[in-house]
Amino acid sequence: MVREELFSNIKKAIVEGDKPRAQELARQAIRSGVDLNEVIDKGYVPGIQAVGELWEKGDYFLPELITSAECMKAAMDILQPEMAKANIKSRSLGKVVIGTVEGDIHDIGKNLVASMLQANGFEVFDLGADVKLERFIEKAETEKADLICLSALLTTTMLNQKRLIEMLRQKGFYGKYKVLVGGAPATRKWAEDIGAHGYAENAALAVKAAKAATAK
Amino acid sequence: MKQTILDLIKKRTVLFDGGLGTELMRHGLPLGTSPETWNAERPDIVQKIHAGYFEAGSDVVSTNSFGGNRIKLAAHGLEGRVRELNSAAARIARRAAPAGKFVAGSMGPTGKFLQPQGEYTELEFEETYSEQAAALIEGGVDLLIIETQYDLKEALAALRGAKRAAPSLPIFVTMTFNKLPRGYFTLMGNTVSLSAELLEKGGARAVGANCTLNSEDMVGLVRALREATKLPVIAQANAGKPELSGKGEVSYSQGLEDYVRFVPDIIKAGANIIGGCCGTDPGYIRKMAEFIKK
Repeated sequence: MVREELFSNIKKAIVEGDKPRAQELARQAIRSGVDLNEVIDKGYVPGIQAVGELWEKGDYFLPELITSAECMKAAMDILQPEMAKANIKSRSLGKVVIGTVEGDIHDIGKNLVASMLQANGFEVFDLGADVKLERFIEKAETEKADLICLSALLTTTMLNQKRLIEMLRQKGFYGKYKVLVGGAPATRKWAEDIGAHGYAENAALAVKAAKAATAK
Repeated sequence: MKQTILDLIKKRTVLFDGGLGTELMRHGLPLGTSPETWNAERPDIVQKIHAGYFEAGSDVVSTNSFGGNRIKLAAHGLEGRVRELNSAAARIARRAAPAGKFVAGSMGPTGKFLQPQGEYTELEFEETYSEQAAALIEGGVDLLIIETQYDLKEALAALRGAKRAAPSLPIFVTMTFNKLPRGYFTLMGNTVSLSAELLEKGGARAVGANCTLNSEDMVGLVRALREATKLPVIAQANAGKPELSGKGEVSYSQGLEDYVRFVPDIIKAGANIIGGCCGTDPGYIRKMAEFIKK
């Protein structure tokens, strides 16, 4: 019962974007000795998922999404060192290399997807904007990534999503890393045409697409 | 005395131009190049595009300075060229403008967020826009248009900055709204009514919407704007969404015929100033000019 109450309070703190509360509940969880992975899975993650649903419904907007993602991060910063100390392996949904492609400086959407992926339990390596295509592959190699996520806002730079997939094919890495594409001009059809493994229209759906791609 | 843009709006529907960024790409703007650099390097092409819009029937063209604020230029390492590139943008459009036609100094968003989501203060944004506005005025614009804003706080900071540089020029503001189940909202969740109200109070002489939506969805948005303000309403819809073929050819999901079908409805809904946005070209503007003449 106490546990259930803790989980529901955590979820509420994330949905409301209450950072001091989200941090305090993390400390409380550590003191009470409950399984911290369970705290994440049943408290924090359902919270950020609810935020994603509110965004999809059009009830939440970018400021709420960013605030809640920051609450998640602040809480994880408290929980993870504790888990490391106790030798508890924190569950990661997978490793993601993300960035806005070469020639494109637009990073609002990419930042949002990166923080939502991280909040939902992916390990995220954000390369920033205007990222050379080779860099994505190098980083994926060194980090043994599962996913490469490519953002583009312009139709001209969107072509670089296609080029990266071609580079992966040439190197014989196609399928080794699942590639997700997004950005205002990207569409599901575009993703299918260029052989990407997933596409999402917004940051909340990107989490679902990333989960689907890594589950295969 | 010379007729101002505000005089013209009182007489009839005013026609802006169509897409500039997409036209620059069609004329070979290389990948990753800041469009504003062409004000220095390819002024001939920029001028030709403006001239094409005037020939098609535009009363006003917007300068090639959408990304010309210091913060945006800094992403390309061009932060030292704000004055040069913006004043050149204004001069190029001026050269293309026949007598009696207007040049609007375009100012797009910084692409960054205000605190707490981002690192900037409202005062920093205000100064950024003021600097750009001053350079556009130096080059000879008739009005300023603060465009494609997704954060009302940034739009208001831009308006304050523009007013500081140009206390007597008309300033127009357009924001970009998504169509959601509960109505039209910006990325930051600003409503149409609050946006129109605060921009009007802030001294905008016309307010409206551009980008994101196609001409069909724009009709309802114009209706919402009309209910929210007594100011002239601006509507510049996209030609739908861009689609890229595997070969890299860009086309827009809303073709010319389908786009212009909704233009009379946009005017009927209360738009006083119309024009196109991404994916529209002089062909779209020519058709829109025909509707206005009718």
